[in-house]
Amino acid sequence: MRTRDLTGDTAEVVRTPTTERSPVRQATKMQVNDLAVWYGETQALHGVSMDVLENEVTALIGPSGCGKSTFLRCLNRMNDLIQDVRIEGEVTFDGDNIYAPHVDVVELRAHIGMVFQKPNPFPKSIYENIAYAPKILGQVRKRTDMDELVEHSLKRAGLWDEVKDRLQAPGLTLSGGQQQRLCIARAIAVNPSVLLMDEPCSALDPVATATVEQLIDELKDNYTIVIVTHNLQQAARVAGYTAFFHLGEIVEFSDTDSLFTHPREKKTEDYITGRYG
Amino acid sequence: MTDRISLTPSRHLKKRYRAEKRFKACCIGALVLAMAFLVLFFTDMIRQGYSAFYETQIRAEVTYNEDTVEFAMDSVSEEVFPLVSRAFFRGVPRQVENNPDLMDTTQTQWLTAKADVDQYLKGHSESLDPEMKASLEQLQADGDVGYGFNTGLFFSGDSKIPSNAGLWSAFVGTFYLMLVVLAISFPIGVATAIYLEEFAPDNRFTQAIEININNLAAVPSILFGLLGLAIFINFFGVPRSSALAGGLTLSLMTLPVIIISTRAALKAVPQNIRQGAQAVGASRWQAVRDHVLPLALPGILTGTIIGIAQAIGETAPLLLIGMIAYIPDAPGNLTDAATVLPAQIFTWAGMPERAYVSLTAAGILVLLSLLIVLNATAVILRNRFERRW
Repeated sequence: MRTRDLTGDTAEVVRTPTTERSPVRQATKMQVNDLAVWYGETQALHGVSMDVLENEVTALIGPSGCGKSTFLRCLNRMNDLIQDVRIEGEVTFDGDNIYAPHVDVVELRAHIGMVFQKPNPFPKSIYENIAYAPKILGQVRKRTDMDELVEHSLKRAGLWDEVKDRLQAPGLTLSGGQQQRLCIARAIAVNPSVLLMDEPCSALDPVATATVEQLIDELKDNYTIVIVTHNLQQAARVAGYTAFFHLGEIVEFSDTDSLFTHPREKKTEDYITGRYG
Repeated sequence: MTDRISLTPSRHLKKRYRAEKRFKACCIGALVLAMAFLVLFFTDMIRQGYSAFYETQIRAEVTYNEDTVEFAMDSVSEEVFPLVSRAFFRGVPRQVENNPDLMDTTQTQWLTAKADVDQYLKGHSESLDPEMKASLEQLQADGDVGYGFNTGLFFSGDSKIPSNAGLWSAFVGTFYLMLVVLAISFPIGVATAIYLEEFAPDNRFTQAIEININNLAAVPSILFGLLGLAIFINFFGVPRSSALAGGLTLSLMTLPVIIISTRAALKAVPQNIRQGAQAVGASRWQAVRDHVLPLALPGILTGTIIGIAQAIGETAPLLLIGMIAYIPDAPGNLTDAATVLPAQIFTWAGMPERAYVSLTAAGILVLLSLLIVLNATAVILRNRFERRW
């Protein structure tokens, strides 16, 4: 009973971000309703609800093991790949439940892109890294169109000037920061509407991190971005909204400024001031 | 006040060093012992086998005419006749048939000597018929006895005449056998491994399959021979002694090796490559085909080569399906009776004539060289293309 009360309670409180920032309500891109996830016997998420606003950067913060990565990976059904996972609840994307039986995961993932914690370019050329997905999805057929798309994607990811002379070089010859931007370019090449980022800067040095953060800021005009980060300053810098996860629940979800300056919950305050976690 | 810290080793540390030295000495000792056995084996094989790579030849006038085609023993002089390999006389009519210009001519040729003579001159046997000895000494005095490379060792089939026995039929048999093993166990093995590793759910059933595959790799090979005999030959009616029957049987042995090594190679491809591909909208199969397989390929090929090399060296299962037999002619297709290199060695090892001892050793050297080449290819492939993560 206790859990049910708790989840019901928090769900009411944080289902949409509390905001003092703008009175205008933005469109909701994705909506998560009462999402619960089990890995075998262990429950990782306890009935979480949350709205993801369009063309905004939403950051998910919280201590390790709090369920923020699990939550993120539910948004493009990446968790389906894990054995013994059980997912309950509803996640909508433009109003459609992505866990409905008629939804095809492969189709879904073409619309909701993902960038991983560790840069994972394909062991192919830079060009092939970008061109792969549009090719298999049948989005681009002509060679000239593909050249254009590769150039455009690399430019959007701020990598074009660095690699334009060596597009045929293996993607793995790039530095860590470049590889991560290549992965971002790869993700946006298929023109998804949502971009999920799972600690995209945790393997990067401060300079590369700054570049990626700047990139995120530019991308939000065209994409809805959800980013998991351990770096609180990063959340404060890039995100319009921030959700604080703790033990598989959302403790607080509001616009970033108020979350960091006037946290309503004691736990949030403890976490962001470094007393906890 | 306080004692100065001494940086010279304490008694305890010295003891540790001694233990370390003992351990190192043990390891080196084991290595030296293993190397010694290897060197001993190789020197013995080379010592016994090298003489089979060259042969004694006798220079003689060979007369070709209608009589000698009929009675080939008349084609050389009476003194030379007992010294020359009988295989030459058998070949006279065919020589003339292939080259009609030879008819009614007399040619000076180097002829392969009889095995007795060969062994006598190589010092492997002391005894030789006194008459033959006399004519041999006469020929030697005239400079009509020489040595040449034993092409027959590689280019003629098995023979009951030792000076004519060679590995050709075994080579061809081994080649056919390899083809069959490769054609069957590579696609089936790789496909099985891909399914088990990439698609199959992890449940009791797949675990049972996995355990069985691992056990299969450890089953004594003679049992595969029994299985091959019962299933392929008796049930499906595949011709006995054929490369097809042997290849099918050995495929059963090679399959688990290929499955296990392919699974290991697939497992070594990091998970985030699969996730990256699927996150951009690739299906599971596309992710495997386009990204996982190319990375795993060197490992898969290495495993396959090692599996094939194992199959090439296998003898026991072939006993039961009739491939260890006297096969003088190279098989022309997959269903002809065939033999393979290790089987040929086994056959020769059981022959009574002295000449077969060096032939056996030479066969072992050839088989070993083939296996070394194959395994070296596997190592080179692995080193050149393996990607470390």
